[in-house]
Amino acid sequence: MNEILARCSSVGVVHRQGTARVHALRNVDFDVRADDSVALLGRSGSGKTTLLHVLGGLVEPTSGSVEWRGRPLLSLDAAARARVRARGIAYVFQGSNLLPYFTAYENVAFAAHLSGSGRDPDRLLQLVGLGGKGDNLPAELSGGEAQRVAIARALAQAPELLLCDEPTGHLDSDTGERVLDLIEALQKEFDFALVVATHEAAVAARMRRAVELHDGRIVGEDVAA
Amino acid sequence: MSALVRLALAGLVRAPLRTTVRALSLAAAVALLGAMILFVGHSLRTMSAGAVRSVPIDWQGPVGSYRAATGVAHGVARQPGVLEAAAVATAGFAGTAHTGAVGLVNSGAGSILAVPPGYDSHINTFRLLRGAFASGSVVLDQQLAATLQAQPGDTIGLTPHAGAKPLRFRVSGIALVTAPDVLFQPLNPLLGPAPAQPPANVVLMPLATFAHTVAPNLASMAASQATLALPGTQTGVQWQVQAQVDPLALGGSPTHALLRATQIRNAVERSLPGQVVFVDNLADQLNTAAGDALYAETLYIMLAVPGAIVALLLAYLAALGTAERDRRDLALLRARGATRRDLLALVGVESVGLGLMGGGIGTALAFVAVHLAGSGAGIGTGRVVATCSICVALAIAGAAAARIAATVGALRGTVTEGRRSARRSERPLWQRLYLDVMCLAVSGLVYWLTVRTGFSAVVNPDSNPTLSLSVYMFFAPALLWIGSALLLVRLRGGALAFVARRAAGARATTWPSFLLASAGRRGAALNRGLLVIGLLLAFGVNLGVFTATYDQQARIDAQLTLGADVVASAPPGAVRSKGVDQRIARVPGVSGTTAIDHTYAYVGPDLQDTFAIDPATFTRGTTLRDSYFIGGTAAQMIARLRAHSDGILVSKETITDYSLSIGDLLKLRLLDHRTGAFSVVPFHVLGVVQEFPSAPRDSFMVANLGYIARATHDSGPNIVFAKASGDPAQVAQRVAAATRADGTTVRDIRQQAAQTVSSITTVDLGGISRIEEIFALVLAAAAMGLFVAVALLERRQELATMAALGATLREIAAFLWSEAALVLAAALALAALLGWLLAEMLVAMLQHVFDPPPDHLAAPWLFLGGLAGAAVLGAAAAAALAAAGISRLRLGAILREE
Repeated sequence: MNEILARCSSVGVVHRQGTARVHALRNVDFDVRADDSVALLGRSGSGKTTLLHVLGGLVEPTSGSVEWRGRPLLSLDAAARARVRARGIAYVFQGSNLLPYFTAYENVAFAAHLSGSGRDPDRLLQLVGLGGKGDNLPAELSGGEAQRVAIARALAQAPELLLCDEPTGHLDSDTGERVLDLIEALQKEFDFALVVATHEAAVAARMRRAVELHDGRIVGEDVAA
Repeated sequence: MSALVRLALAGLVRAPLRTTVRALSLAAAVALLGAMILFVGHSLRTMSAGAVRSVPIDWQGPVGSYRAATGVAHGVARQPGVLEAAAVATAGFAGTAHTGAVGLVNSGAGSILAVPPGYDSHINTFRLLRGAFASGSVVLDQQLAATLQAQPGDTIGLTPHAGAKPLRFRVSGIALVTAPDVLFQPLNPLLGPAPAQPPANVVLMPLATFAHTVAPNLASMAASQATLALPGTQTGVQWQVQAQVDPLALGGSPTHALLRATQIRNAVERSLPGQVVFVDNLADQLNTAAGDALYAETLYIMLAVPGAIVALLLAYLAALGTAERDRRDLALLRARGATRRDLLALVGVESVGLGLMGGGIGTALAFVAVHLAGSGAGIGTGRVVATCSICVALAIAGAAAARIAATVGALRGTVTEGRRSARRSERPLWQRLYLDVMCLAVSGLVYWLTVRTGFSAVVNPDSNPTLSLSVYMFFAPALLWIGSALLLVRLRGGALAFVARRAAGARATTWPSFLLASAGRRGAALNRGLLVIGLLLAFGVNLGVFTATYDQQARIDAQLTLGADVVASAPPGAVRSKGVDQRIARVPGVSGTTAIDHTYAYVGPDLQDTFAIDPATFTRGTTLRDSYFIGGTAAQMIARLRAHSDGILVSKETITDYSLSIGDLLKLRLLDHRTGAFSVVPFHVLGVVQEFPSAPRDSFMVANLGYIARATHDSGPNIVFAKASGDPAQVAQRVAAATRADGTTVRDIRQQAAQTVSSITTVDLGGISRIEEIFALVLAAAAMGLFVAVALLERRQELATMAALGATLREIAAFLWSEAALVLAAALALAALLGWLLAEMLVAMLQHVFDPPPDHLAAPWLFLGGLAGAAVLGAAAAAALAAAGISRLRLGAILREE
């Protein structure tokens, strides 16, 4: 059995909206192992994105604990958590979230610089099929191209864990398929664990495990044979 | 509509931080204008009071007899608005004589002033130095007393007219006549005031004594006879009524005080029909003051309005911070059925709410600022209400303009257009017409004309309070402001972005290059900061440089009129015989002295003031500026005088009138004190002088003290100039105490500045410039803070993404402070250039008002350093707050935003 990279134990997250308290996650136990591929499946508001953010240390749980490689993430200060993210955990967001004032090349180079991975941005862009678009700004790219740059940027961090939040949510089905194919291919080549939040069963079906969330709780888990 | 009002108010209440920042931005902007309105009112009242105080006699009405004078004075004194009225007489005399210890001493002709008891309680035309008025006795002016060597208790003979038998009077006191030019002026109500050459000798006496002893020996001048009178030609007795207007009746601006004074005089003259018509010295002075007041108002507007307008841009900057959210909210409302009119109404209601808050706070700030500047006394409720109304109206307009400009996209024609982010596809008309370039070109042209053709401001004191200002002159600074602002908008930070991109290189791979690459692509955002901060700093630089130059020239003007920081006038011979100059030099606070002899010499038929100086010591006692001379610097001219004992500096007018050249022989006639006759003394022209300490504005000459003393055998210097290292007023007091026994009269530069009311440089800019400088400092710091805060709000998703990629707080904050540093550096450069140019233009416009014109602009380095420091501090504080803000960003929530 591969080692556990990230583990959530009895994690609860409560947001305040005015005077109301919204439970985004309730008592969630979840772990991700090296070379795992997991789908977080659920409808909007089920807690998928919050769980991704908790795993990367972007959101601090209200209760419970989160460990990265056996070390409590919350015991680290903000700078140390940032270093963990830079060198171990990469995100691909629903809307690509490319840095708007950097070119495609610079977006990738910036992530490589932060992580100190030394990976070549040009090579990564060629890998995602955008060798000729390095000098384009995000505003000059299509949705699919932007998402592929986001993937290249994530790879630049040489991550052990890639967290993808609805990576095909803004794309048409053909482009979405190609993006998922690319992610799967890259996972094989670069050997990272993958967690994908999605509301589409078809996307979940491509993962080894599918964890279903409802109202902030894990309500089921399927593991492919 | 009520739903819109509720929605707008709820929007303000639910975002208290945003509402506070926007209200405070508006408050800061309108407070500057409010302070200006309050200050101008105070300043104008001060000018009125100063003008009224400076008039020794408000009205002088010629009458035909002693009886008429006393009767009319009684009638005038009872009129409302009149503080005091007195019957007075003036007359000439042929000579006086006194037999003392040195034998018989005679004086030449002079004038008599006869006043009733209690005259000097409200009318200040002389000051009793010793003794008092007594029936049957006379009081001598100190110059005459010195000439006659007479003391109180002595008896003198006074010859009323040539050939008459001398009348004998006991001397009961010595006085200093302070307003002889007004007292003895010819009284012609149709011609108005005509201050005359003061008589050389003055005798004062009680009116009753005069009426019974001197007057019967002289003919009376009828009231109508005065119409023919010319200065210095009074032959008989001039009976007159002198009156003072109650200063409390003359409130408000000089124009208002002038109107009120004229109304009071008309009412008095109507109440005594055919009995008296006054020569109105007060109206004449208020007329001049009204001209100065117009200048002052123009100056205040030129200095403060650009700053206030730029400050309103802060409100725009503040509105930009939430522009994207506001745009989405408005677009959502439109999508749900709100019409464009509904949205405008919503913006309007919100603006009224913000305007009321901003205007109210702004008025309070203005009020406090004006009080702190020491100009808050006597601000009436009416002015406060008017100021508050203007501030609120401006704040509402500013809030609406800022909100509409920031969210223009959501107010566009269709819902679809409204949902798009605000992007302009076509250049606006002014850009296509190159209005910015045209403004700058016209500004330069007007400035060139101003400088080259002397196309500048002249106050016209002889007519109605009008300002001979060409309106075109004001186009230069106004168009420079507008053109610069528009050019910055057109460039959209292109230059700044270009520099940043070039510095970053083709592809960023290092940390500095990432920062520069990012900044290089945010030209438009950087430009907003540059526009507001650069123009605000330019306002500060312009204000500081102009005010410093203005203050410098006001000091120079006063020093030029008086002669030095402290000036002691001594009786003939006292300086040399009693060592007055050396004793003054030893007074604590005196850093140097020089003694000069103010005498007269004939150039052909013209009698000109001549200043005999010691070139070796002259600049120890006073300051010379290069602009005083033509054809050489001050140092060069003094060196020439030192090298040539018979050298002389003459006015340009003399050079022209007598076709003189440098080096020419000039023969002057000077009074030889040994023989009592004029003798011809040869000089050689060394240079041209146009201004000189204590010299009159018309022709005069400057020569060597030793050479003139040898040629005229006079008793030496009669004036001592002293430079003060401390407060001139205190030094003057000490000098007066040290030399009182020598009969000196001591004046200081502070006194002179307060008394010089005919010059524009006496308009006190101190208060308003201090207020504006404080606002400039605060606004510069606030603008930097807002720039960083807006950048944080606008880029929060980008910054949150960086955090998700693993960037630390410090690394993320670097993107904000590096941009702030870039904007600050560019803004400082822009401010230095633009502020200096604007100050140059303002000074050029007022070049002919300054006497002498400034050699160079004065740089208030302390204030300028403070201004830059305030901007740096504002940026640093904002960067620190931004770093704290980044650490509190709710990354999860922000990353979900689309």
